[in-house]
Amino acid sequence: MSHPRTGRALIAALAASTLVATACAGGTPSASSGPGASASASAAASEKPQQGGRIIEGTISDIATMQPVLVNDTASGRITGLLYDTLIQQDPKSGEVKPRMASYTTSQDGLTYTFTINDKANWSDGKPITGQDWLTAVTAVAKSAKTVRKSNFQDVQGFNDFKDGKATTISGISIDSSNPKKFSVKMTKVSCPAILDLAGAVGSPLPTQVFGKYLTATSKPEDFDNAPENTNPQVVSGPFLFKEWRKSDQVILGKNDKYWQGAPNVDEYVYKVVANQTAITNGLKTGELTFGSIQAKDLADMQTVDSVKITKYQNLGYTFIGWNTLSPTAVGLADKRVRQALAYGIDMDAVIKAVVFGEATKQVAHHVPVQWAYPSTPLEQYKYDKAKAEQLLKDAGWVKGSDGILAKDGKKFNLTISTNSGNTERETLAQVAADQYKQLGINAVAKPEAFQGLVTKLTTGDQTLEATIIGWSLGGDPDPYQIWHSSQIPNPAKNVTGFGFTGFKDAAMDKAIEDGRNPANGDCSTAARKKSYETFNKILNENQPYNFGYANNVLAVSQKSLQSFAPGSFSTTYNVYEWWIKK
Amino acid sequence: MRTFILRRLIYAIPTLVGISIITFVIVRLAPGDPIRLFTFGSRATSEDIEALRHLYGLDKPLPLQYVDWLMNILRLDFGQSFIYHQPAAALFLDYVWNTLQLALVALALQLLIGVPLGVIAALKRGTWIDSVIRVLSVAGHAVPTFWLGLVLIIFFAVQLRWLPTGGITTVGKDQWDILDRLRHMLLPAIVLSLTGIALYSRILRTETLDVLGQDYVRTAHAKGLRERTVMFVHALRNALIPVVTALGGILAGLVGGALVVETVFSWPGLGRFTFAAAIAKDYPVIQAGVMISSLLLVISYIIRDIVYAVVDPRISVR
Repeated sequence: MSHPRTGRALIAALAASTLVATACAGGTPSASSGPGASASASAAASEKPQQGGRIIEGTISDIATMQPVLVNDTASGRITGLLYDTLIQQDPKSGEVKPRMASYTTSQDGLTYTFTINDKANWSDGKPITGQDWLTAVTAVAKSAKTVRKSNFQDVQGFNDFKDGKATTISGISIDSSNPKKFSVKMTKVSCPAILDLAGAVGSPLPTQVFGKYLTATSKPEDFDNAPENTNPQVVSGPFLFKEWRKSDQVILGKNDKYWQGAPNVDEYVYKVVANQTAITNGLKTGELTFGSIQAKDLADMQTVDSVKITKYQNLGYTFIGWNTLSPTAVGLADKRVRQALAYGIDMDAVIKAVVFGEATKQVAHHVPVQWAYPSTPLEQYKYDKAKAEQLLKDAGWVKGSDGILAKDGKKFNLTISTNSGNTERETLAQVAADQYKQLGINAVAKPEAFQGLVTKLTTGDQTLEATIIGWSLGGDPDPYQIWHSSQIPNPAKNVTGFGFTGFKDAAMDKAIEDGRNPANGDCSTAARKKSYETFNKILNENQPYNFGYANNVLAVSQKSLQSFAPGSFSTTYNVYEWWIKK
Repeated sequence: MRTFILRRLIYAIPTLVGISIITFVIVRLAPGDPIRLFTFGSRATSEDIEALRHLYGLDKPLPLQYVDWLMNILRLDFGQSFIYHQPAAALFLDYVWNTLQLALVALALQLLIGVPLGVIAALKRGTWIDSVIRVLSVAGHAVPTFWLGLVLIIFFAVQLRWLPTGGITTVGKDQWDILDRLRHMLLPAIVLSLTGIALYSRILRTETLDVLGQDYVRTAHAKGLRERTVMFVHALRNALIPVVTALGGILAGLVGGALVVETVFSWPGLGRFTFAAAIAKDYPVIQAGVMISSLLLVISYIIRDIVYAVVDPRISVR
């Protein structure tokens, strides 16, 4: 999910852009992750960390809430993740699911998870974190009217009945009577992405001593949704405590001395709102900001700054051109050969050089290299080949008319490439694509428009969109159901919305997705699922419902004084309690 | 006087109602659906989206939504922000002080700098001082505020490091630290006051020249009064009258124009907050923002008219 930056008042638009943020696929907010042995994190692991100092992170938009159940934007997710720890986490580099506050086992049939919370895991008020606290979080999701995360728990036995008021408890969740830190969750069907849904950021245990009173049998949804502790959390489980929120200015967190993995080395973590990306880049140069990311265009300049260190890792997401295969006006897009021609007919390597200064990897299928689901079998790379593109178009029946524009059955090949205005990267991509396709004889034009309108059109299946440039931010689990399953294709006639705006469907692809998500034999091992995703990516690679564009690199910049900072594609702050400032 | 104020307030009601209808309609006609916007990318299902739509009353017919909203406004309930899940009116209180601080300081600068510049230009008419002030005045109008703001940031904050690059407080400083606040306020207040300084200096110059040519000033001189007495006791007060007229509009301009300055300098004020709400299609906040600004505007015009009547005895409020 790239951040959309809307038109004229781009700066203020950025302020809201992370609120409206991103187009997430399988959008589980990334659980904080990290290997058990954090020694790999820093080169200076042998040095004793100095105490004190402050970590300052810049943000373009302010947070909206500090309640995990209600989080719906990146900024809120960041701060909430520092206040509330999760049960499991993902390795920052590989995404492998590992224990954090809890370890877990899965039953043979894959239907029951049993979690055991670490003995040391405590709330900041001293009380132990128990299975009841996780149940409080799930209850909150069920009862809240404003959460967008109910689907995270839809496969938990009894959750839907509880949510709809037909039951007073969730039948699938049981807490061990002899060990309050042990609990089990029974699912209605085997769901491989479920573990991250259940035990990631949305399933962060909530202090029952604080939120229990808003979630009784007689409580109303607004009791929880409007609870003051959602914006003033006083009891937390994470490395930092909440101190102060100066609206649209800064959020100030203080170190939690009682943090179960050991108190952080720094005294404060400050989340400072700044005007725009330029301000972040400047702040990193002057040392006002401790860490942050920069755009590729500023990389060369930043490399000349002595006081900072640059870490590169792949973004868990990609920017692409989506083809509306059902378009009544751009009829060529229905033909696979045409879409392949559109892949051969654009010099994506040149685009990557021009638009992101080479800091990206070309994509020809859905999963990105850093994910384990990334295809191992070689796929068609669609290397730029104008002649091949022209041949494919000819094969599909498109012939150049006297005006140089391709036509078929009396219809000209018109193509409008839409994207959200204000995002220079995407606007440039749109323009370059249009120019290159014109050379093939396609009457292509780039059409930027406001993000708000574009989003509605995409999710409702508005057929005026022919081609759209946008980005996906991928979740922790590689399950691509929400984007690629045929049930997710929006249908305006039936008032069905979804992210499958290309309208492309394939029975074998659906099966591969279903097998990877709800395997009949209950095998959720990476090896088993990977087979399904190989099939899945091959079908996408051949059919090109998107031109899969590129997966850009994240350019993380940090002050050299910041030690143990080791961000990865899956998490940045997983080991924040180990970071220290070298004076 | 009391009837005057009352009458003006009553006349303001149809205006405010009209504004509320226009805002209501425009905000909903703009492309995009707020629910889809803030659930884009989340795992919200179609049912979740429809449930949220129902919760916020957005599935009702438009006129019904308007009536509901109006009824709530009369009870001073401006609704809950879609994004922040807090009462819209309460959110404004967090921001309105920040904008007022900036606006009042800018206003003070406009009066303290603009007025004397105009008077000096009039007194030194024809000299190089007059020319310089007049050129600066035109420049002050012509220069785009966002450009000037960025240039000042680059120069004073990034290059010289004398002033902060933006924001309202320094990390680590208490938010009641006055000196810190003033340091942060300096550049945005200057940029915000620029148009007003330009305007006032021109108005004052014209008015002062006009007044100085009047008979009663000549009489005052003939009476043998000192220059200073003539200026400040007789002439200036009359020259100030148009300033009061401009004042009403200026306050509105400050609160509205503050948006650009607030954005450039990351000043957490009302303008920036309302704009962010507009981008996110946070209907309750947008509507509350427009209504509150309109109300402030109406009040500021009423105050201006009262001050006008006080300053100029020829004008009666009847």
